[in-house]
Amino acid sequence: MMEGVRRAFERFRRTPAFMGFSLFIFVLILNIVVQTPGQFFSARNMNSLFSKNVPLLLTTMAMTPLLISGTLDIAIGIQLAMVNVVSVMVFQQWGTSLYVGFLMGMLASLVVSVFCWFLVSVLRLPAMLASYSLIYIVRGINVLVMPSPQGRIPDAFYKTYDMRLGGFFPFSALFPLVVLIAWYYLMRTRFGRNIYAVGGNPRNAFAAGIDPVWVQFQAFMIKGVITGLAGIALTLMTASGNPLQGEAYGLRSLSAAIIGGLGFGGWGSMACAVFGTGFLVLIQNTVYYFFSLLTKAIPGFTVTSYWQNLVSDVIIFLGLLMTIVTAKGQREALRQGFVRQFKRRERLGD
Amino acid sequence: MTDTARRMTFNQRVQIFIKASPARMAVIISLMLFAITVAFNPPSFNANTLNAVLLLTLLLSFAAAGQTMVLIGGGLDFSVGAMMSSAAILTTYLMNGQDGKFWLVFGLAMLMGAAVGFLNGFCSIKIDLPPMIVTMAISNVVTRVGYVLTQGSPSGWVGPSFRQSIVAKIAGVVPSLTLYALIVFPLVFFLLNRSRFGKQLYLMGNNPTAAALAGIKVNRVRVLMYIFSGMLSCFAGMIGAGYMSTARAQIFDEYAFTSLVAVIVGGTAFTGGIGSYTGSIAGALLITVLSNGLTVLQLSQPIRNIVQGVVMILLLILYNRARPVRQ
Repeated sequence: MMEGVRRAFERFRRTPAFMGFSLFIFVLILNIVVQTPGQFFSARNMNSLFSKNVPLLLTTMAMTPLLISGTLDIAIGIQLAMVNVVSVMVFQQWGTSLYVGFLMGMLASLVVSVFCWFLVSVLRLPAMLASYSLIYIVRGINVLVMPSPQGRIPDAFYKTYDMRLGGFFPFSALFPLVVLIAWYYLMRTRFGRNIYAVGGNPRNAFAAGIDPVWVQFQAFMIKGVITGLAGIALTLMTASGNPLQGEAYGLRSLSAAIIGGLGFGGWGSMACAVFGTGFLVLIQNTVYYFFSLLTKAIPGFTVTSYWQNLVSDVIIFLGLLMTIVTAKGQREALRQGFVRQFKRRERLGD
Repeated sequence: MTDTARRMTFNQRVQIFIKASPARMAVIISLMLFAITVAFNPPSFNANTLNAVLLLTLLLSFAAAGQTMVLIGGGLDFSVGAMMSSAAILTTYLMNGQDGKFWLVFGLAMLMGAAVGFLNGFCSIKIDLPPMIVTMAISNVVTRVGYVLTQGSPSGWVGPSFRQSIVAKIAGVVPSLTLYALIVFPLVFFLLNRSRFGKQLYLMGNNPTAAALAGIKVNRVRVLMYIFSGMLSCFAGMIGAGYMSTARAQIFDEYAFTSLVAVIVGGTAFTGGIGSYTGSIAGALLITVLSNGLTVLQLSQPIRNIVQGVVMILLLILYNRARPVRQ
């Protein structure tokens, strides 16, 4: 029994998600201590944690298939704003139901994803720079569609988003849950294996009969759908339209994914994205409560939000530094994989 | 030879012409763009516009100097913008109208550039991630420090003679910033083309493994190039502060991207080992003329954004396509 637990832990320790998981648990405990357990686990706190951070979580999840297949899209943040803008404008100008707006927003996200795929996979431009240029284009289109922040969605929608199902389960948590289930189904299909092969080494994958361009197209489509969901969640959260919001989500989701243990190409899983985002969100939370604790404890001690931002950015940077350890784990896992292969060959007598 | 030339498609011929001398190409395109701008709006051809274009080109080429080195060495420095902003804040904050403090500010700015550059280099070697992400994370921290120091509002201003040494007009057109360029350009050219560091940089960018086998201390060269980049960005930030006369946090953050574009337009390859500073200066001219044109033609901000993005993508298509998987 003990042996089994130990071996299961050993196996988990070698997975990409381990690093992100340990960081997440560490900061979770820190946050609970700073905020006191009673307050942290209250249904209200849980609900606001989820409803405020589901867009970021979904963005990181959208980034995951891209990272696994060896590309990325830094313009993902401004695409959230695009979904938001298109949804609100369709609802407002065409006088249709908001569902139609969401559908059009989703379509817009898919179109941008296909365009980005065309640049990165078909034209083979450097993904980082090409998608950075895309930020400018999407931002321009956003402002053309909606010149200034405006619009308002019906009360029923954002009230549903803030609702607690059964008194404790946040409605907003349904979004990532659905995506997770769909993703783990996809991972059991042929696509699930191909995406890792392409990310690991596109040339070898091509030689093995997998078309890297097509697999990356699938990855970009999945990214488009999840980004659409993230944009919808953002619309429900803010209940209005703003063409210039969300740009920071691009870099933040990327650092979340990397802190969570995703590598560039063929390394990582959806769990990495979840833990990485959890780490990022809870760190910010902890820093906020820690500073308000200090303000209460020390009379005359005041602190501006600039200090809080500085501390949380330094921590994100330190989190990236932690990936030195992750990279070591990655190499170690690779080495053990080779060793196993060789042993198997010896046993079979090749 | 002529036979093969005839068999090439138009696209290939264009690419070969550009690759033969990207600097020449960039200058030709910028002259054409300027001509188009003047044709659409004749009054825009005046001494003031020329002066402004020259000034901004020089400023951008200072910012692009470090980026050129880093790109040739196979890295990427996205902290140029944040570093410029911080140096600008430092300059206005310390100088506060007193010219006498120039050397103090200069020394501190260089120190800051070297320190952050060292951090960039050290982390991009140690962290197993693309340098763009590492430098972005560091530049975020640098930006936040800027916010903490200024508390979000501009403080101080630069000394009047320092400002005059940048914006004063020689013969009504040429900005006196050119005098600074007479020091900076030869220095960068010496570093890249004549010094041992430059030779090692090109070799390392071309093939790090081969360079290491040839006895080059690759890590030292890599850290050095980031340090030089940091110092040059901080110098550009000081100059920028002199031009603007006050500074707030994130004032020059755009330069992270624009300097990168300028360097790539100048023909420096993203993969490292290829490129020249002449090209980057020409690229800076092209970017400045383009943005001047967009301003003069009175296009709205969203259209300008779209044009910027499309131009960058077109440039990437022309210069920086990776090899296909099917060979």
